[in-house]
Amino acid sequence: MNPPGSLGVLEEKEEEHLATPVIGPSIHSDNPQERIQARRLRIAARLEARRREALGEYLDGKESEEDQSKSYKQKEESRLKLAKLLLCGTELVTNIQVAADIREIHRRVEEEEIKRQRLEKLENEVKTSQDKFEEITMKWEEGKQKRIPQELWEMLNAQQVHCAGLIEDKNKLISELQQELKAKDDQYVKDLKKQSGDICLLLERMEEQKAFEVEREELLTNNKKKWEQALQAHNAKELEYLMNRIKKVEDHEKQLNKQRIWDCEEYNTIKIKLEQDVQILEQQLQQMKATYQLNQEKLEYNFQVLKKRDEESTVIKSQQKRKINCLHDVLNNLRSKYNKQVKQFQEENQSLTSDYKRLVMQFKEMQKAMRHFALIDDKQFREIWLMNEEEVKDLISRAFDVDRIIHTHHLGLPWTAPDFWFLKNVGPISQQQQKSPTQILEEVLMEAEEEGAEEAASEPESYLDLPKQVSAKTTRKILMLLCDESGFLVESKLLSLLLPLDKSECYLLKLDAIFSALGIESEDDLYKLVNFFLKYQAHHSPPSQERTSLVSPLEKLDPQGEKEGSLVDREPQEKQPPPSPRLIHPNDVLKILEAFVTGLRKPRDFRAPVKLLKVVRDDSKDSAYWKALTTVIPATTLNLWDALYTALEKYHLVLTQRAELLIENSSLERQNTELQQLLQQYLDSKINSELQVPPTQVFRVPTK
Amino acid sequence: MEETQITPSLSVRSWSSISTQDQSSISTQDQSSTAGQASSTGPQPSKPSVIPPPVKSKGPSSGAGVRRMRRIIAEDAEWSVAIVPLLTELCIQHIVKNFQNNPILKQLPPEHQKKVLNHLSPDLPLAVTANLIEDESYWRRCCMQRWPVCHMDEHGGSWKRTFFELHLENLLKHFIPSTTDPEVILNLLPLCRNYVHTIRVDQFLPPVHLPPPLRGGDQSDSGSEGEMEEPATDHYQLGDLVAGLSHLEELDLVYGVKDCGMNFEWNLFLFTYRDCHSLAAAVKACHTLKIFRLTRSKVDDDKARILICSLLDHAALEELDLSHNLIGDRGARAAAKLLGHSRLRVLNLANNQVRAPGAQSLAHALAHNSDLVSLNLRLNCIEDEGGQALAHALQTNKCLTTLHLGGNELSEPTATLLSQVLSINTTLTSINLSCNRIGPDGGKQLLEGMSDNKTLLEFDLRLSDIAQESEYLIGQALCANREAARQRALSPSHFMSPATAKGPENPVG
Repeated sequence: MNPPGSLGVLEEKEEEHLATPVIGPSIHSDNPQERIQARRLRIAARLEARRREALGEYLDGKESEEDQSKSYKQKEESRLKLAKLLLCGTELVTNIQVAADIREIHRRVEEEEIKRQRLEKLENEVKTSQDKFEEITMKWEEGKQKRIPQELWEMLNAQQVHCAGLIEDKNKLISELQQELKAKDDQYVKDLKKQSGDICLLLERMEEQKAFEVEREELLTNNKKKWEQALQAHNAKELEYLMNRIKKVEDHEKQLNKQRIWDCEEYNTIKIKLEQDVQILEQQLQQMKATYQLNQEKLEYNFQVLKKRDEESTVIKSQQKRKINCLHDVLNNLRSKYNKQVKQFQEENQSLTSDYKRLVMQFKEMQKAMRHFALIDDKQFREIWLMNEEEVKDLISRAFDVDRIIHTHHLGLPWTAPDFWFLKNVGPISQQQQKSPTQILEEVLMEAEEEGAEEAASEPESYLDLPKQVSAKTTRKILMLLCDESGFLVESKLLSLLLPLDKSECYLLKLDAIFSALGIESEDDLYKLVNFFLKYQAHHSPPSQERTSLVSPLEKLDPQGEKEGSLVDREPQEKQPPPSPRLIHPNDVLKILEAFVTGLRKPRDFRAPVKLLKVVRDDSKDSAYWKALTTVIPATTLNLWDALYTALEKYHLVLTQRAELLIENSSLERQNTELQQLLQQYLDSKINSELQVPPTQVFRVPTK
Repeated sequence: MEETQITPSLSVRSWSSISTQDQSSISTQDQSSTAGQASSTGPQPSKPSVIPPPVKSKGPSSGAGVRRMRRIIAEDAEWSVAIVPLLTELCIQHIVKNFQNNPILKQLPPEHQKKVLNHLSPDLPLAVTANLIEDESYWRRCCMQRWPVCHMDEHGGSWKRTFFELHLENLLKHFIPSTTDPEVILNLLPLCRNYVHTIRVDQFLPPVHLPPPLRGGDQSDSGSEGEMEEPATDHYQLGDLVAGLSHLEELDLVYGVKDCGMNFEWNLFLFTYRDCHSLAAAVKACHTLKIFRLTRSKVDDDKARILICSLLDHAALEELDLSHNLIGDRGARAAAKLLGHSRLRVLNLANNQVRAPGAQSLAHALAHNSDLVSLNLRLNCIEDEGGQALAHALQTNKCLTTLHLGGNELSEPTATLLSQVLSINTTLTSINLSCNRIGPDGGKQLLEGMSDNKTLLEFDLRLSDIAQESEYLIGQALCANREAARQRALSPSHFMSPATAKGPENPVG
């Protein structure tokens, strides 16, 4: 019973394998039906796959769809192949088991049959032997009854023979059975051998199948090798790429870092800048807000104001409109008036032009006449002058006589006749007395040379000519400055001539030349120049304390200069600190000169006609002359005279008062008489009676 | 011993700081206890930690010897600073070396544990390692060292379990009652109780008898002889062992002797009543048992009944395999009873002597059963009566998927009924009717039945006298069913390809 047992184990393991596979039909099958089936299945599988893919398994990627289908096909084929192999393999292996099973069944059936036969045989044998045995035993009974030894012996012999037969039968059976057993043993050995052969076959088949395994292993190893090679190549490539990539990445990272740092810095700077900007802007915003608010308020206020103003302005506008209308009317009126006036003035103008023409004509005539008269006037003047002089001299001689009389007669004093230059003068004072600027210059310069000792005791006469406000020193200094600075005005020839001369002379000549160039002709002009210098300095220099203090009195004194002030006025003038010419900068000289020249020319042009007359006659000395004549009698004498006169006057007044009173008295007497006559007349008129209150009643009639 | 071994490794710390040159000789120097000595040399400079705790150097003479050695080694050209191992290495090596006496493992950090385990010898006594070491690689080494062929897959994928199961199996295989000390196995029990899930023993040695060799001659009637000497041929009593294994799930036993050769005796293959009773008691006591196999052990009706009685209402049992025994109708009836009183899923009575009555009783039980998935009655003799009864039962059964009726003298009537079953039943996936006399008509009827069936995947009709045409058509139908089943399996969850089934490699083993 062991061999089947061992087979059973194998079979069990086979069963495990049978349970696993689920095998479909193969398209490579020989059977067309199966092929059709396989194709159908394949189509179904593909449809299924497509459906699944459509359901959402497109994660695998569509680019590999073709590959996938290919691999899928391959897989399907392999699967089917494998399934077939598995089925066939298991069938092949289990076939042996099944064969063994059926053999076992057959053996069992046979065994049973043989067993049954053997049992039958044995039973028959037992029956026959039992019969024989019974026969023998029966014979034993018979034998007991037999008394005859011969018979007994016979019987015994027969018995023995029977027994021997029985035993022989039995032995035969035994040998038969033993033979059978031997055969069975042989059979068993054969079976064993067969089964071992089966097992060997089984093992062979399994080994065969194991060959698949080996082949698979080989395939696997080959594929693995290939795969590994490919993988290695892939890995190498990958590594290469990776290295490249890493390099690149590093580069990029470096760049990135650089960029980042740079950006960072930039960002920071920008940020700081922007923040500053933001702060500034915020501040500005705040300010703007504040201003905005302020402005808003202002604007609101303004708006309000403007509203009001607008209202006002509308009111005003209407007013203005009205006014405009009014003014339009006025304008129209005025226009008409203006037109009228224009016409009128045109007419007037015409008349005036005609008048003017006439007047010009008249003026020309007048000029003619004037020239004529001037000549006549000169003559007359001379005549009058001579006449007046004569008269004055008469009067003087009379005054001297009176004075002599007063002195001698009234006062009892000795009298001496005074001797004056003007007393000897006959006729009008000639032009020669007019000093030229050069003369003044000479004077000034000479004076300067004798400075110091003569300073205080300078002659008043020479200064009479000079403007009171300017000291000689100042003038000199200014002139020196002028001389130094205006060398261009002097001709070069002159300069060469001047070289060997004395310094003062040199100045003199130079100044002469300069004055002639500047057009300074008179003494006045010279002083004007000096004044101008000073004034200019005062005006144009920065208002320093000193200068103002210097100039202001000059200005104050300016008007006084024209008044021909007395000696009394002159005294404080001298006390003024002399204006220092140092204050005039040499550079300013030309400017001053230019200004002066332009300024001098104007008044000169303007004064041209006046000059004309003045040229004819300078009567400046005349008044002095005449005044001097008036002062022939000195003040003491006059005072004496005045005192005498007042005494006489008093005396005379008394006398005249007496006389006046006498005259008044007489006139009053006459008036009284006249008034009495008039009153009498009024009182006598009728009207008095008609009045309710007659004046007669009011008035008391004076009773004479 | 332990003290002297630990101190050198500790002294390494202090000495290594003074001079690295002396690393190699630290142990010896420490022994000589000349602390001030700067240079001393060891015998093996390249592997200092392997130095055995030096030969006692307490004596002055040994000190002189050390000095001599020192002089020699100081000029050793092979010596190199680079080989000086780390202190941790030294410690680990020391631990490995003394593991048997002082197993230190759990206290170490994981990486050091790994190192220690890698260096441990597989020969260490199980008493030390069994409950301490969980590391698979260690047990793998143990297994590989002891058995050239061992399949971890057959032992739940755990090397430790593999080792203990194989170890136990080995012990049981070579246990000779009344000669071997039973303590050998029982001593192992506390060590392996947590790791053994399966006991597979294909040989139980009988007690050694001196008389048997004396009795020469051919003893054809061994049966009577076995009965006579029954008390003497009892095998190892599994009771204590099974009771001690708390995780035992599978028992696979064969009461027989392997490789007996020409020493064959019938009584070598005796499964005595005492064996039977003790086994029955052990099985009954084992509540975790799921699979029980007792094959090729001459289990007859009575013994089968004894065993099955003990298995009635067993809580965990799922598979019962009594194939290749001598079980007849009574035993089958007992099995049928068991079907009603357990949650058995697989029943294997292949190659027994079950006939029609036994099959009928099984069929009766099957008709009302809802647990059994697989029934194997191969190489019995149930004949058409039994076959018809089973076919009738299958008309109502909704659970059975695999039915093996190969070699059962079945014929056309059974085939007729089965074809009806095929058109109704939707659970059966595999039927084996090989080696029967079904005949061409029966084949046609089965083909008719197959045409309505969509679930059957395997239908073995080899050597059953049916026409080739119908066999082929049945094969076509099966293919269609298989493809449909594959699609069904694929659609809910991908990658369950049947093509990945393992190749035919197991049968060889």
